[in-house]
Amino acid sequence: MADRAAGRPAIGDPPPVLSSEEAAELARRHGLRQVGIRPTLRQYLADTWQMRRFLLTLSSAESYAKNQNNHLGQLWAVLNPLLLVASYFFIFGFLINTSKGVDNYLAFLAIGIFLFGSTAASLTKGCRAIIGNLGLIRALRFPRCVLPLSVSLTEFISNVPAFGVLLVLMLVTGEPPSVAWLFFPVALIIHSLVNTGMVLFAARMVNGSRDLANLVNMVVRLLRYVSGVFFSIDHYTQGHEALAAVLSYQPFALGLTLPREALLSETAVHPLNWLVGLAWAILLPVGGMIFFWRGESTYGRG
Amino acid sequence: MAEVDRPVGSTGEQEQRGSEQAVPAVIVSHIDIVYRVFGAKRRGVASSQAQSSVVRRALNRGRPVSGTRDVRAIQDVSFVADHGESIGIIGRNGSGKSTLLRGVAGLLPPTKGEVYLNGTASLLGVNAVLMSSLTGERNVMIGGLALGLTPAQVRDRYDEIVEFSGIGEFINLPMSAYSSGMGARLRFAISTAAVPDVLMVDEALATGDADFRARSQKRIEQIREQAGTVFLVSHSNKTITQMCDRALWLERGRLVMDGPSEEVVEAYREHFASRRPGGAQPGRGGQIGRPRKTKGHKGGKSGKAGRGAEGGQKPAGEREAANQREQLPESAIREWP
Repeated sequence: MADRAAGRPAIGDPPPVLSSEEAAELARRHGLRQVGIRPTLRQYLADTWQMRRFLLTLSSAESYAKNQNNHLGQLWAVLNPLLLVASYFFIFGFLINTSKGVDNYLAFLAIGIFLFGSTAASLTKGCRAIIGNLGLIRALRFPRCVLPLSVSLTEFISNVPAFGVLLVLMLVTGEPPSVAWLFFPVALIIHSLVNTGMVLFAARMVNGSRDLANLVNMVVRLLRYVSGVFFSIDHYTQGHEALAAVLSYQPFALGLTLPREALLSETAVHPLNWLVGLAWAILLPVGGMIFFWRGESTYGRG
Repeated sequence: MAEVDRPVGSTGEQEQRGSEQAVPAVIVSHIDIVYRVFGAKRRGVASSQAQSSVVRRALNRGRPVSGTRDVRAIQDVSFVADHGESIGIIGRNGSGKSTLLRGVAGLLPPTKGEVYLNGTASLLGVNAVLMSSLTGERNVMIGGLALGLTPAQVRDRYDEIVEFSGIGEFINLPMSAYSSGMGARLRFAISTAAVPDVLMVDEALATGDADFRARSQKRIEQIREQAGTVFLVSHSNKTITQMCDRALWLERGRLVMDGPSEEVVEAYREHFASRRPGGAQPGRGGQIGRPRKTKGHKGGKSGKAGRGAEGGQKPAGEREAANQREQLPESAIREWP
């Protein structure tokens, strides 16, 4: 602004002010806390823990509201993925046959679609967790990580009925219930933690540069095709050891492999897969949390 | 809850104010707040912040059109507020009043400088956006938890909140079905459910119909008595002098005056009175904010459309009448429907 002086009315001297150091000293003497800055990680986590009820209420309310504005209501939480499975089965089971190397292709496909669906939804919504909630951020004070966390929690809660349907589908397609099914909830938790970590990364990156939100759609689509949602990675990468390793140990592919190992009788439980999956489920949320926390003082400026 | 964790000695501070023993509740040191505005093309994009669009218009001139723009809404503002003080913030539309409140409340991180607070601060206003797809009932819970209440505390105060908002059975409908007045009333009721140590009121007096305005004013009085320190943004000079003992005058993001509310309001009034004839203030300074003022006056049916050049030709008596209109009803100055 060129005319700073002109913009200032001529009356009233600007009041005498303390220097930054004097202000800091005064604040210290009277025990005032600085706000609008990034708290220590420890404090941040404690604040987040304090808000756990808020997080839970927000997430469950939102997952309920998602299917509220139509006649069949919550039924859509189950109908949507079923319709998707039907159409994918038509395309990839009949028209282009990608079912090679899989015996129970319908069950295989259903697990892929249901679980990847929640990853896709978490990422596309989660990347806007900050920039889409500026009103809330500028009105209330709370650790901002509550917003991306609530996106993946919302997604998890709203998918619980779908996971139930998945189990029914297993029985319908002739999978015998086994002890390995007990690993299914574990696989779901690993899957959800991986999503949470990715959402935390995405939310801060998109806040830093909104243009990245457009790339997220592309990334999700790419992931859908390389993570083995509708084909067996092992079968199609035979003879390419390195490619197979990269494709099958990336967190999103593992997120589908683990529930398949738990539910499908044709795929045995491989301990290595579960260990790698567990490592991702710890690394990504912890890394994501630290990454998100480091940007805490930048959220809300638009 | 806030009453309990209020620091010892915050009551009865009133007498000590001004003396050496005054305990600071808020220290603001050289803060700048910069907004990033997207899609800032020539014609100005709808933005939730009235002030940003005004400031942006000033910044826009003579610059190449680009996708984003930084708006310096607050520039180098410093002050210290003591416990027990109630402070009014005055200034024209777009001078950064709401932004300053958000900065002090820790909602908008300052780009430069420091803000120190003693205890909890909350912004009480009609802009608190809750979840429009959810029912009022869920919103009460979410808002209450966000304010730091426990679920049990929210349940305890639930009836009181709903009753105060006066929206009756609409509480079970999604907020998207509410009229804007109803939504604002519920938001106000929620935001007054907890008493903070430092209370910020952002033109909340303008909420809803006449009846609700009277009730909300009473509620603010109550909270003001309980809260340690109060900041009030208002366009009504009368409200400021009645409710506040100190006032800050902001002009284009800068603090131009800080002192006893009568003095500051008087200077503010005089400044605009002296400016009016013949458009004394040349250049952009005189233009910013004028369209809004005009609109407000239209609402107040004063019909004084052509200030500035025409104002100069008015006889002295009429000019004085115009000055009085300036301090007239909030409803005329604010853009109420």
